[in-house]
Amino acid sequence: MSLFDPSTESPIAHGIVAPNGSLSFADPALIALNQRAGGMRGAPLAVPQLATIVRLARRLGIVVSRGVVVADDEADVDLWVRAQPDGENVRLTVSGWREIAAWRPTRPAPGAPDDFLGSDTDWRWETDAALRLTFVTLDAGPKHGFDAFALLGQPLTAMFALDTGTDGTLPILDSLARRRPMTAQPARLRSSGRAVTLTATVRHDASGDFAGFVGTARMVVDDVAPPAETATLSPTFTSGLDKALRIPLARIVANADSINAQSDGPVQGDYADYAADIASAGRHLLELVDDLVDLQAVERPDFTLLPEPIDLADVARRAAGLLSVRAANADVTIARPPVDMRVAALGDFRRVLQILVNLVGNAVRYSPRGAQVIVTVTRTESHAVVVVADKGKGVAPEDQARIFEKFERVDPSEAGGNGLGLYIARRLARAMQGDLTIESAPGEGARFVLTLPADSARH
Amino acid sequence: MSVGPTMQDAMPSYDPVQRAETARLRAETRLAGTIADFFLDADARLDDRTRLMLAQVLGAIVGAIEWDIRRHAARLLAGSGATQAGEAILKAGAGTVLQRLTRAGLLRDEDLMDELIARVRHDLIAASLPVEVAEPDEASLLVRLAGVPDSVVASAASALLAAESRRRVANEQGAVGGSELPAELHHRLVWWVAAAIRDGLTSATRESDRAITDAAQRSLAAHDEGERPDAVATRLAAALDARPNELAAVLVESIGDRRLSLFVAVLAHALGIAFDQARAITLDPEGDRLWLALRALDMDRPTIARIGLALSEADPRRDIEQFADALDAIVSIGVEDARASIAPLALNRDFRMALRALARTERR
Repeated sequence: MSLFDPSTESPIAHGIVAPNGSLSFADPALIALNQRAGGMRGAPLAVPQLATIVRLARRLGIVVSRGVVVADDEADVDLWVRAQPDGENVRLTVSGWREIAAWRPTRPAPGAPDDFLGSDTDWRWETDAALRLTFVTLDAGPKHGFDAFALLGQPLTAMFALDTGTDGTLPILDSLARRRPMTAQPARLRSSGRAVTLTATVRHDASGDFAGFVGTARMVVDDVAPPAETATLSPTFTSGLDKALRIPLARIVANADSINAQSDGPVQGDYADYAADIASAGRHLLELVDDLVDLQAVERPDFTLLPEPIDLADVARRAAGLLSVRAANADVTIARPPVDMRVAALGDFRRVLQILVNLVGNAVRYSPRGAQVIVTVTRTESHAVVVVADKGKGVAPEDQARIFEKFERVDPSEAGGNGLGLYIARRLARAMQGDLTIESAPGEGARFVLTLPADSARH
Repeated sequence: MSVGPTMQDAMPSYDPVQRAETARLRAETRLAGTIADFFLDADARLDDRTRLMLAQVLGAIVGAIEWDIRRHAARLLAGSGATQAGEAILKAGAGTVLQRLTRAGLLRDEDLMDELIARVRHDLIAASLPVEVAEPDEASLLVRLAGVPDSVVASAASALLAAESRRRVANEQGAVGGSELPAELHHRLVWWVAAAIRDGLTSATRESDRAITDAAQRSLAAHDEGERPDAVATRLAAALDARPNELAAVLVESIGDRRLSLFVAVLAHALGIAFDQARAITLDPEGDRLWLALRALDMDRPTIARIGLALSEADPRRDIEQFADALDAIVSIGVEDARASIAPLALNRDFRMALRALARTERR
């Protein structure tokens, strides 16, 4: 639960802490935070991080401000706390109020400065609060035709002429006004007139005020066509990827898991948590490697699967069984076809199982707690049909085609998944002369329908 | 850092007896190292970040000097027609100088390590200091100083901006342009590296010795002590020559601008002590000498509290709670008493070094 309205930016809550350590006055957000931490009117401040800062400010007799992370219900909240001694009391100013999400294996949100200090930049620069350059990567000067030493201490605009963005605004102004990262600010290098793109994060000072930019510049390369989208990945590439990545990744996951389980002896708590993050990211990458290898296979123009007689009801029961642990953890039940049911179909056993595991796995992931995922198998004249139905939030009609595209996800901010599963599943179904479709409306759950040719030799 | 014996060094030929003996010696050396490591005082142990950066800086400095000497010596030999000898200097034992010097124990030199550890700690703390903006939209201290009409101050401030940028790039990319060591340490290190290069040659000749010597001397001549950030900061502090009534503001602002070198230099200038002394007391996690020094300069409670708080935020070894407990006692120290207690800091540098060397020999 979020304790603030996300539409208001960085609300600031004030409070006054009396000599006995209790809040003698406070804005509602601060009172609520304190109460959720177990605090009461007249009792000492219950949020330990805040109490520490207040005590420190009182003892040192100066303003103390720091960023802290406090637990608030289930979430962690990032706060800027400023404590100013004022006679007997301490004035408390709390801003930021940003909820910290758990680590998520997803692509960064569009517009976020990706790989900030990565190799994608040509040089780096930093300014102070007055936008004067305090640091410039020195070896960029000779390469791009400016004198880095002479620019130190000069205004940012001595290095760059800033242009307006596509929407006619200057991203830097927005960034300055709202104290948030500056992305894609078009500019030209004063020395050469060449186009660059500027990206920067905002450095805050101890009071949370703007203290300068930490930025990068990337030369805009014109007249180079974007790399043509290749229809397929080359087999050597994926098999190389498979070999090169799977073993080291498996080792990383195994070691991170044993650090997390502290099987070799005690480890400091946060390190054990980092190890869990590493293991989870590693597992995510392993899945991606599997999917890429599949992707390479299904995208070959001559990709076909040899149909063999299979019992679709049996495959559906197995898929449900494989996911029962994950479902139990998520407090979701899976209704599977009856044990004595047989539905003869033609398909590749392993690939059909793969498709169904993917479908049931998605259904479990998107189901609310306590819900049921229903797997049913039926047979028509010419086809055998499996339906995986969930009671999740569903897929809007305009998104239904998109979810079968490569690297597409309905909600990219959602944890888990890499956007390849459904694409591969549909390619596999079609390679077996079958199909994979969806019936859904927002808020009413989703029904994924896998059809395969019926095995008319059997009934 | 780990520099164990290499297989080639350990086993010139396959002799089982010799091999067993070598293995026994190796196990003993290793055990001795492990025991020393176990009983090492936790306060004396480097934390991982500092250890990593120290290894990088040391490796980069030795590597830079090594290649400087090798390249120039090879050019000299090739120029006089001894192309093969020149190539031999480029190749023989290339990249093993650090290992050789470490194993010989030369790099355990206290003066050298003291300087390098202090430099690494200084840079790490400076990078973690919280920023404090004096006035909204006001340029930061060093940028303001670079624009003042007094050209001595302005040029020193520009030079410090440049020197600190250079140091940061070197730290981040693990490549140094020069050693940035004080002259006598640079001198010492250059001759050690030269000796290690010669030691790596299979057949050292008079010509190759001369070429290595010339190349080393060239490296010594090219070293400009005055370009080091410490020296530049010292020049700026002298040019500023902060008056007692300005001192508190300059100290607090330089630390708020994350210019730790300027803070140290201003402190050193005001106390009349050397930069390295002021740096040592600033980096000392207990901080007692720094509080005494600030009291000797008659700094008031809020100034000392601000400096202590900023350093505590940047240096995980410091204990802000202890500092808060002690603050009243610190402020109650009289200026004269404080001055008397830190007087030994102001001794002549060579005199101090000599006293220290003497104490060190007596310890052994």
